[in-house]
Amino acid sequence: MLRPVARRAPRRSNVGEGAAPAPRSVKASLRLSIPSQTSFLGVVREITKKMAESAGFSAGTADRLALAVDEAVTNVIEHAYHGAADREVELRIEDRGDEFRVEVVDSGASVDPRAVPRVDLPRYVSERRTGGLGVHLMEKIMDSVTFRRSARRNVCCLVKRKDSPPAR
Amino acid sequence: MSELTVETRDVEGVTLLYPRGFINAHTVRQFEGEIQKALAQGHFKIVVSCSGLAYIASAGLGALMGAIEEIRGNGGDLRLANLNETVRNIFEILGFNHLYRIYPSEVEAITSFRSAGAAGC
Repeated sequence: MLRPVARRAPRRSNVGEGAAPAPRSVKASLRLSIPSQTSFLGVVREITKKMAESAGFSAGTADRLALAVDEAVTNVIEHAYHGAADREVELRIEDRGDEFRVEVVDSGASVDPRAVPRVDLPRYVSERRTGGLGVHLMEKIMDSVTFRRSARRNVCCLVKRKDSPPAR
Repeated sequence: MSELTVETRDVEGVTLLYPRGFINAHTVRQFEGEIQKALAQGHFKIVVSCSGLAYIASAGLGALMGAIEEIRGNGGDLRLANLNETVRNIFEILGFNHLYRIYPSEVEAITSFRSAGAAGC
C-alpha cells in the first residue's frame, strides 16, 4: 500500500532562483531540471547513482536507487505529461545523513496515486499484466514513496534510510 | 556510448540475445524489436544472456511479459542467463524468477532446451 501523503507546507520553487539554503541536516544536495524526454533517463540514473554512492550506499544499492528514480521520472513523462517532450522534470536529491531523499517534481496533470493499480503479483503473472510495476518496484526498493500536490505541482518523494536493507 | 546494444546469434536452434547496457523506457523499443525479429523468423526458443545488462526497469520487464505468451503458445520459451546481482534482485523483487527460467550460464540455458522440463534456478 502507498504510505499516507506527506503533509508539508507548500513552498516556493527554487528553480532558476539560485542555490536554496540547505537545511542543517543536509550533507549534500543537488537540484537539476531535465526535459521530459526519456533520453535523459541515463543522466538521471548516473547522477542518482553517484549521489547515492557518495552518501555511503554500496554500488548494488545505488543501482537500485537509480532504478527507483528512473521509474519515478518515467511515470512523470508518461502519465503526468502524457509523453510531451517539451516540459520540465525537476529532481531534488539530498543526503540527509541518516537518509537519502529524492523528490521528483512536475507541473503536469494532477495524478492520484490511489488510482495506480496495486500489484497482486500472482495475478499479474498469470494475466501477464504490466501496468503499475514501476510504482511497485519503487516501493520495494525505497523505505517510503509518497505523492503530494504542492503549489500546482506533483511531488513524488522517495526516501531510503541508510540502515535499512537493500530492498523489501 | 549507446545506452543499449543488442547482438543476436543462433546456436543449436536457439536464438541468443545479448543486451548490453540499460533497458528502460528509452531503450525498450529496441529490445522489443529484437525479440519480435526472432519471433517473425519463427524462432521461439530464446535465451537472453544478460552478462552485459547493467539494469532493467519495469518497461523492460513489460517487454518480456508481452512476448512470453506468443513464445510459449508456439511451443517455445524465453529463458535468461548470466544475470548480475542487480538484475537478479529486480527479478526476485517482482517475483519474475517464478515466471522465467533463469540459468547461471548461457550454455546451461541453451542445453536446457534439449531436455523438456529442465528446471532453472
